[in-house]
Amino acid sequence: MMQSETQPGQNGQPEWMAGRLHPLTLVFGVWQGLRGLVALLPLFLVGNRWWAVGLGAFLFTGSLITAGLRYFSFRYRLEGGELITEEGVLERKQRHIPLERVQEIRLEQGLLQRLLGVVEARIETASGQGPEATLSVLGRAQAEQLRQAVQAHAAQLPRSPVAAGTPTPEVVRRLSLAELVLAGVTSNHLLSALVIAGTLWNFAEDLLPHNFYEQVARWLGSQVEFLWAQGAATALLVVLLGVLIVLVLGTFFSIAGSIVLFYGFTLTRSGEDLQRRYGLLTERASSLPRRRIQVLAIEETLLRRLCGWAALRADTSGTRQEAQDGRQGRDVLLPLVRRAEVEQLLPVCFPDLAGESAEWRQVSRLAIRRATLKVAVLSLLGVVAWWFRAPGWWALAPLLAIPLSYAINLQSYRHLGYALSERYLRLRRGWLGRTTHIVPVAKVQAVELRQTPFDRRLGLASLYVDTAGQAYTGGGPRLGNLPLAEAQALAQTLAQRAAATVYKG
Amino acid sequence: MLFSYLMPRHKHSQVRVVPQKSRCKHTGTRKLMLKDQPESAITEQPIFQPLDPRVMNLWRLTDGLALAVLLLLLLAGVGIGWWFLPELGLWLVAAWGLLAVGSVVLVLWYPLRAYRAWGFRVTERVLETRSGVWFQRTQLLPLTRLQHVDLERGPLERMFGLASLVLHTAGTHAASLTIPGLEAEYAVRLRDWLVQIGGDDAV
Repeated sequence: MMQSETQPGQNGQPEWMAGRLHPLTLVFGVWQGLRGLVALLPLFLVGNRWWAVGLGAFLFTGSLITAGLRYFSFRYRLEGGELITEEGVLERKQRHIPLERVQEIRLEQGLLQRLLGVVEARIETASGQGPEATLSVLGRAQAEQLRQAVQAHAAQLPRSPVAAGTPTPEVVRRLSLAELVLAGVTSNHLLSALVIAGTLWNFAEDLLPHNFYEQVARWLGSQVEFLWAQGAATALLVVLLGVLIVLVLGTFFSIAGSIVLFYGFTLTRSGEDLQRRYGLLTERASSLPRRRIQVLAIEETLLRRLCGWAALRADTSGTRQEAQDGRQGRDVLLPLVRRAEVEQLLPVCFPDLAGESAEWRQVSRLAIRRATLKVAVLSLLGVVAWWFRAPGWWALAPLLAIPLSYAINLQSYRHLGYALSERYLRLRRGWLGRTTHIVPVAKVQAVELRQTPFDRRLGLASLYVDTAGQAYTGGGPRLGNLPLAEAQALAQTLAQRAAATVYKG
Repeated sequence: MLFSYLMPRHKHSQVRVVPQKSRCKHTGTRKLMLKDQPESAITEQPIFQPLDPRVMNLWRLTDGLALAVLLLLLLAGVGIGWWFLPELGLWLVAAWGLLAVGSVVLVLWYPLRAYRAWGFRVTERVLETRSGVWFQRTQLLPLTRLQHVDLERGPLERMFGLASLVLHTAGTHAASLTIPGLEAEYAVRLRDWLVQIGGDDAV
């Protein structure tokens, strides 16, 4: 059922379109009302039935009326390069979103929404306050039309290098089931377990009794007491067994979580737009203009690095970290990719990166000494504390940390460095787990040099590069232990080159 | 001037000497006069410009007030301590006195160091500020990244005829940069000039 009218412009692109939410919005109102009723089930079964029925009727009509009002009052239209939404019954609220400010369009389809063929659309701008507009729910065709209109508008911008017209989508990378399993095995187990728990929770939270947590806590407490009474060896064995079970379950859940979250992951490039589509139960699609990417991070966690795999993360200026981002897979541009493949994929995000090369430079070797010195001071304190508690040769044990930390710091130093080319700054760090940041110079907002009193004695400085939106790439590129003169020159070069470029989102 | 004996002696040649006696014809207030420059034109400078020296007294006042409140609270603590542990009373008073003397010295001396450490300049459309006595910091802001500029004048700043400029970018962890202690009228001109250099192509 089409709820929007369009008038084609010169090149077949809709220049004006208007619409309202899909009529199924009402059905979702009913659905939400029903879910609310489930919460009242215990009251109905054990408590006062009349109260339960009354309250249920009240809540149900409430959610029905809200949904109805939303459906009948919500309008949106695309006019003069702006997306205009209107809502509210008594107080009409109008919101104008200039299309060139749109950072990302996210489409989300839960299981029920997929069955009914409708989509929830969220539109993000650089405001960083979460979605600027939420259209829930639209028909699938409507949402696609909206996305294309925004994309077509972006293509017509004077500074955009892309010619107007619908570009042909080109698949950049698809993740196979085997890769998803691998992604699950090498991912953070706990997080993925949370994905599953969260999904189950959505269904279960209305059904659990109120004192569920109390009961669980009481049960755990009694078990611990029981084990303690059985003697230490048994307790240890049970704990080990428990850890093993948690590990196995964790791996299982993280594989399942990875498949549920990222099933059918496809990264497509359509002109200037990077599109991601994934999800087994809830299907998610997001559309992100690549010129909005502020920082790109190539992340190699320990397990993945050993297997030669990495993940790509990207930040746009609109991103603000939210608790559910990890569970929704928003934080990764590409969850898993061979490290060797990354270099070929980079031009997809940064088209002018291809011709640029720069040699990696290292920071001052004093970095190793300083990092080791910190550990040395700590371990000496440890020795003193130990000695006071129990004098003896064992108290010297913390000193072993010093050679160990020296070895680690040496390795870390070897993999720490930066490379500045004409339009990009790259930074890499880490030994066991590694991260490489790529920052387009045109996206640099400010550069900062800091010197602690120790830095000044050694003639060193730390460099901080500030960009917009650092939600997923780990809080801004930074580099310590640079020789002062080099740091100043680098900061000056970066700032001056940035000043000579134009920042667009 | 109250603490004129603490005025900077300008041992660094790159810090510009600010004439002490240049007063505005109309208001009689002292002004930050950039030497060799007509008042209407601010230009790019390879040399770091100092803040208005009056900012030292502003800092002395604000720091002094904060420390005074702290010292009064501590004094109350000392009183209570004396009540409960009379044998320690004199020691507590002595410690408090030492703290008080230290605070007075700090309030008189630290703003001078902070003032000397402060400087800003604009080269090649980049605003560079440096500050910090023990922990030093240089911030570089490409002026084309300016989102907006706030001119702030608190009641105390107004008393001293000063203003602060707060420059905002779209960045995350260092999204704003503050230049305190500018002569009020100069701050307005500096703001207009910075915005003009930045151009209107920021978001």
